[in-house]
Amino acid sequence: MTGGMLKILQDMPLSFRVPLIASAMMVLVGVVASQQVLSSLSSVQEARLRELARLHVDGLAVALGPSVLRRDVWEVYDTLDRAASAGSGQRMVLTVVADETGRVIAASDPLRAPVDSDVGPLADEAQAIDAIRLSGAEDHIRVSAPLDYQGRNVGQIISELNVADLVAERWKAGLYLLAGNAVATLVLAFGGYLAMRRMLKPVARLAGHMGRMEGTLEPIPDKDLPKGDTELARLFQTYNTMSDAVQAKAEAERRLAERERFVSLGRLSSSLAHEVNNPLGGLLNAADTIHTYADRPEVVRQSAELMQRGLGHLRDVTRAILDQNRLDRAGQPLRPEDFEDLRLLFEPEVHSHSQSLDWQMKAGATALAMQPAAPVRQVALNLLLNAGAAAGVNGKVGLAVTAGGNCLSISVTNSGAAMSEGDLARLMASGPLPLGGGVGLRLVHDIVVGLGGTILHERAGEQTQIKVNLPIEGGVDA
Amino acid sequence: MMCAMCAAPALAQTVPPIRLGLTPVFLDNDGAVILRLREALQTGTGRSIELVQRRTYQEVTGLLLEGAVDAAWLCGYPFLQHEDNLALLGVPIWRGEPLYQSYLIVRADDPASSLSDLRGGTHAYSDPDSNSGWLVTASDIVRMGERPEGFFSRTLFAYGHRNVARAVAGGLTRSGSIDGYVWEALAQVEPDLTARTKVIGRSEKLGFPPFVTRKDHVAGPTVDLLRTALFDLGASPDGKAALDLLQLDGIAPGDLRLFDGIRARMRDVQGA
Repeated sequence: MTGGMLKILQDMPLSFRVPLIASAMMVLVGVVASQQVLSSLSSVQEARLRELARLHVDGLAVALGPSVLRRDVWEVYDTLDRAASAGSGQRMVLTVVADETGRVIAASDPLRAPVDSDVGPLADEAQAIDAIRLSGAEDHIRVSAPLDYQGRNVGQIISELNVADLVAERWKAGLYLLAGNAVATLVLAFGGYLAMRRMLKPVARLAGHMGRMEGTLEPIPDKDLPKGDTELARLFQTYNTMSDAVQAKAEAERRLAERERFVSLGRLSSSLAHEVNNPLGGLLNAADTIHTYADRPEVVRQSAELMQRGLGHLRDVTRAILDQNRLDRAGQPLRPEDFEDLRLLFEPEVHSHSQSLDWQMKAGATALAMQPAAPVRQVALNLLLNAGAAAGVNGKVGLAVTAGGNCLSISVTNSGAAMSEGDLARLMASGPLPLGGGVGLRLVHDIVVGLGGTILHERAGEQTQIKVNLPIEGGVDA
Repeated sequence: MMCAMCAAPALAQTVPPIRLGLTPVFLDNDGAVILRLREALQTGTGRSIELVQRRTYQEVTGLLLEGAVDAAWLCGYPFLQHEDNLALLGVPIWRGEPLYQSYLIVRADDPASSLSDLRGGTHAYSDPDSNSGWLVTASDIVRMGERPEGFFSRTLFAYGHRNVARAVAGGLTRSGSIDGYVWEALAQVEPDLTARTKVIGRSEKLGFPPFVTRKDHVAGPTVDLLRTALFDLGASPDGKAALDLLQLDGIAPGDLRLFDGIRARMRDVQGA
């Protein structure tokens, strides 16, 4: 029960919870205060009643002493009857005088306490005057007091007091207190609610602002900032500073990604220069040979064929570079030739590090055509460059493209050291970028996620495998 | 003239007041009645009147016998008890005759209808020397062949007929013996009180409580003055007002035979 209420309280917005708790405290204070007031009222009433009863009994004791001593029924009755009809008659409903043996001598109402009857039943419910307590809602209470005359006890007096007015007064006071407290609590609670709500409004605005942005943070406009140098104003300023920092960071990341592309291009260019340089040497040699043996047709033919093969190779390389960078190929479907181009672009990198390349192209043109060319080439090239860097001198790098089920799989493997935590975080997760390192792997991640695919990383023995699965709509016929 | 003016206060100082003893035979709690009666008698006698009240008949009778009062309004029963020393001064006339009755009363809701129904109950008498407030009921019990002291479980003396009515009305006792004249007068002035009682027995008519004096004073001038004033009460406005308050027609010379009924009852009780 209590736990459930706590849970409800915890789930409640702050702007409701705080006023609610304040109201509850006020109700508590009201109840305690009312209890105190009623308790003092009760004490006052009891004191009043004690004094009244004491006066009544003392007065009667003086008047009745001799009559009680003589057992004069008429005199006792006459005194009681006249006392009842004078003054305190409204309060004293019944007064009974008994002798020391407990037999009734006379009562103000003899029908209720006949002469000579036993006073016991009446006395049993009676309270001592000094211990009068007004408890409960009874309209009448009974008090008893010893009747002393000339220094000795000659009997007892039992009086029944009508306390209906006191009970009603207390009831009325309780009712007024209850109503007054209820109204005051309601008013104060409502006031508290409004005040708290006003005070907490900026917090709610901040929470709303943060909730609306869904990942991206936007600074809160100056006009919405709380006035003054309060905690809330500082909180808002901190939030704005933070959102500016996040935006600056995102911008930096974007610029880094751009730069990464140029870095890749640079690396490509250097390997291509190497690739072009080799045939160029051969071509120059062939040109020299032709120049030297221009009169020997078979040598010239042989050199011309050599030059033809070298130029053909150069043409292929040039075409691959064009394809890689041609803007008008954006949105073109992926073709097997794209992978041939990649191989052509990547092989010089492999050779420069004396690495071995295992190239397996098992996916058909149909399956490839389901994917856009540029992003997939970007992904594969980045992964290959990364694998090549990781494999090191004399390492092994492999690429396997397969199509099966509902996806096209591009698996890149390499020997060598495992990927660092930072690189894995870049590749596998969408969280904030770890410090240091490039952004190529994050680019792969973003592109794959953009294409609706998944990335799997596996480290088996000395080999690292990165497998990218790209979905194919409608599946593919194996 | 001047001398007469000087002598008047001296006379007032030297002439003693006429002292009249009163028993609680009538509405002795009514101050207005006492005041008006005194004024009427002062007017009638030309003397100052001192009305002496005592709680019991016995005390007033004692005052009369020892000469502390000149006359007294006494009950027929103590008058007859001291017949040798007392003389009749006058008897009030109530409802046309110098007679009254004793009433036996119970609470209005009591089922009793006669004295015998009250056996074993509690009973309020007015005074042990009262005819209507004791003698009548005691003699009735004797006439039933029983003892007055054992007939009721408890008896008390309330010393006043009005008190008897209060005792019965309030439930202190089941029944009471009361002066019929007082009960009827109460029914006029305090109907709420008498309404809570009912009369279940009325005695034969008996001699009304008389004004009496000592035999050796009966021919004296003071008693003469008083007698004349009593007989002439109805003639003066003050006296008429006093009689109206007392609900009496007047006061007339009485005859001892009026009290024969009481005498008979005294014999019955004494013989028992």
